[in-house]
Amino acid sequence: MATIRIEPTIGDPATGTDKEEYARATNRDIFFGLYDDEVKLLDAVRAANEDHLAIDDVYTPFPVHGLDPLLGLEESRLHVAGFVFGSIGCLFGFGFMTWVFTRDWPIIFGGKPYWSVPAFIPITFELTVLFASVGMVTVFYIINGLGPGAEPRRLHDRITDDKFCIAFDVTESSDSEIDRLRQYFNRTGVETVHRKLVAA
Amino acid sequence: MASIRIEEKSQENFVFSSRAKTTTLVLMGVGLICLIASYFVDGGEGHHMRFWTNLLHNSVFFLGIAALAGFALAAFTTAYAGWFVQFKRVWESFASFLLPGLFLMGILIVGLFLHSHHIYHWNDEAAVAGDEILTHKSSFLNKFWYAGGTILFVGIWYFLLGKMRNISIAEDLDDQDTEFSYYRSYKKYAAIFLPIFGFTSAALMWQWIMSIDSHWYSTMFAWYATASLFVAMTALTIMLLIYLKSRGYFLGVNAEHFHDLGKYLFAISIFWTYLWFSQYMLIWYANVGEETIYFRERQDNYAVLFWANLAINFLLPFFILMRNDTKRKMGTLFFASAFVFLGHWLDYFQMIKPGARLTLIELEEHTTTHDGEGEHATMEHTDEAHAADTEDDVNAEELVSEDDEVPAEEKYADATDVEEIDNLRTEGQNVNSAGLPVPTDPNNPRLQVGAQTVSDSNDVPLTTEFRGGPPEGEGIDGPREFAAIMERNETDVFEPNHYIQEQYVDDSELEMVGHLEAAGGHSEEDHTLGFKSGYTLPGLLEIGTFLGFLGGFLFFTLGQLTKARLEPRHDPYLEESLHHHT
Repeated sequence: MATIRIEPTIGDPATGTDKEEYARATNRDIFFGLYDDEVKLLDAVRAANEDHLAIDDVYTPFPVHGLDPLLGLEESRLHVAGFVFGSIGCLFGFGFMTWVFTRDWPIIFGGKPYWSVPAFIPITFELTVLFASVGMVTVFYIINGLGPGAEPRRLHDRITDDKFCIAFDVTESSDSEIDRLRQYFNRTGVETVHRKLVAA
Repeated sequence: MASIRIEEKSQENFVFSSRAKTTTLVLMGVGLICLIASYFVDGGEGHHMRFWTNLLHNSVFFLGIAALAGFALAAFTTAYAGWFVQFKRVWESFASFLLPGLFLMGILIVGLFLHSHHIYHWNDEAAVAGDEILTHKSSFLNKFWYAGGTILFVGIWYFLLGKMRNISIAEDLDDQDTEFSYYRSYKKYAAIFLPIFGFTSAALMWQWIMSIDSHWYSTMFAWYATASLFVAMTALTIMLLIYLKSRGYFLGVNAEHFHDLGKYLFAISIFWTYLWFSQYMLIWYANVGEETIYFRERQDNYAVLFWANLAINFLLPFFILMRNDTKRKMGTLFFASAFVFLGHWLDYFQMIKPGARLTLIELEEHTTTHDGEGEHATMEHTDEAHAADTEDDVNAEELVSEDDEVPAEEKYADATDVEEIDNLRTEGQNVNSAGLPVPTDPNNPRLQVGAQTVSDSNDVPLTTEFRGGPPEGEGIDGPREFAAIMERNETDVFEPNHYIQEQYVDDSELEMVGHLEAAGGHSEEDHTLGFKSGYTLPGLLEIGTFLGFLGGFLFFTLGQLTKARLEPRHDPYLEESLHHHT
């Protein structure tokens, strides 16, 4: 039998409005269960899909194969950013060298023409890779609210270690619906069940 | 994936349908007709170069695909990979083509010994004797090495890969084996094959292809040519698997496997480009005459082939296969594979034909000018005869006769190679604008020639003073003004580089002139070779021959495919392959 406990409310308002009311208005009420195995997690997600329970999100310590199609997640478009940044880097590198060596400061190297395309290719390649990688990391950080100085948002510390989490948004759910979720968690072999208010 | 297998059971054994048989046989017939036709089409030349190069081109290409299929099997097995196991019978059948491939190479070896073909310049004893470079290389570039290397090395490959295939089939039939003993010995042979293949494939690539341009060498070449074959092999595997899947075989091979094959096609295409570029850039940078001539020949006279090679084999797979979904959709994957397969066939065409054509030109000039000169047995002198038609050389010839009054040994006291200076004179380098001979410095005639030419051409500043950046003096301050001046006096003030470039080329030509001529290089004026079907671009006969070899390859490999169950049911990695997920 899984232990069930309700965690204290977080998201203390600074404005002086009623604590409970403010939290309800600005936060999301998350009801989540922790599993100790990714196989159990995948089975549970499948069961939730069969029961038409709307999963808010699933958190895992590492990427779990086969989870994306079960959650109906579309393919990440991060690589589009990679292509765009890579193209920018490619054009920038090549264009910059072209400008420097034909317009701004022409230097003769080994009797080669100023506009020595083969000599530019390695640097163009390097800049393509640099721009693509730095650009993708930056976009990834912005999309996910990560990066230096960002406040880490985590439901539970163990999710970053060895637990797999299925979370439901119960902000607008009735008690009977929450009971139904609790039964679902118990049925699918959950280890612990938690409830937490998080910033929207 | 697994559910599909339950609903629709994949066929266990491949049946070579009569329709497929007919198709491949018809293709082989077409190929044979084209090959025979190419023997007679240029029969007037008396060398049948087109026939022999077509035979070499396609034999090496398909033999190489067979070898690389074996390499893929061995490499993946050694790396404990399991995803490919479902269709490993395809690669095993590919690898069996080594035997017919060796037979085809045998025809070329016989031709080499009987001197029926002149693909390889190094097989011409007279030419080798009068050529320092070829004499130097003759310990490796000779017919015994060629024959022995080909038979021994391909024989070893066939032995090891044949062993692997036998073990794999025996494993399939033995239901008692629980120790994976077959797999263990399979792995042993794979591990033995890899290092042997690594060295011997390089040696054979040098012998088979690189030695056509016998003066040229590139350490990158073997890798470059082998990478080309790997891409072609992957493309052919993809196309054949898509076909077999459409016939109800290999139903367990799904988008995941094609995704991985597509990744190989993509990655090795880029690896091929990397090698192509590395080879090109090193040679471009060093600008050593006898190396540069290889690319100069191709860029000047085979521009379409040269750039199409890059476009088809790099740009096309790079942009098509870059996306995730194009590797998982059969349509785009087949499209890319077909193009890349043809592209690498073109790549081999481009490696073989230009060099063979130069040898052919030399042979023809050799035979036509030989009667008049008599005593000259080497190829070098044919170029002089060839160049004599052009106007510039009239001048040069006058000069030669003028110079003949002074013995050459006296005039160029320091020069050791009189013949080299002879060539130099033919080029008309040491004549100033007035047509008078330039006084030469006996210590360094080359430098003297360069400096003199500089003073001739309308006050071009001495180029050695220019060190880059906006030039000083004349009230020029800043790049803007520099650019403005640059536009005003483009030719004579601020394009010294153009000048240096020419001078540099001249220098290297002077230095290497003997080698260049020997390598088939011609002076600027008569360098351009016109279009010639079957050399500049593949003609219908080449395409027909290619289809014939493709038909033969498929006929043989599909025949091999019928000899064993398609699914290696006792392979320890079969389950991993069935549930493969990228």
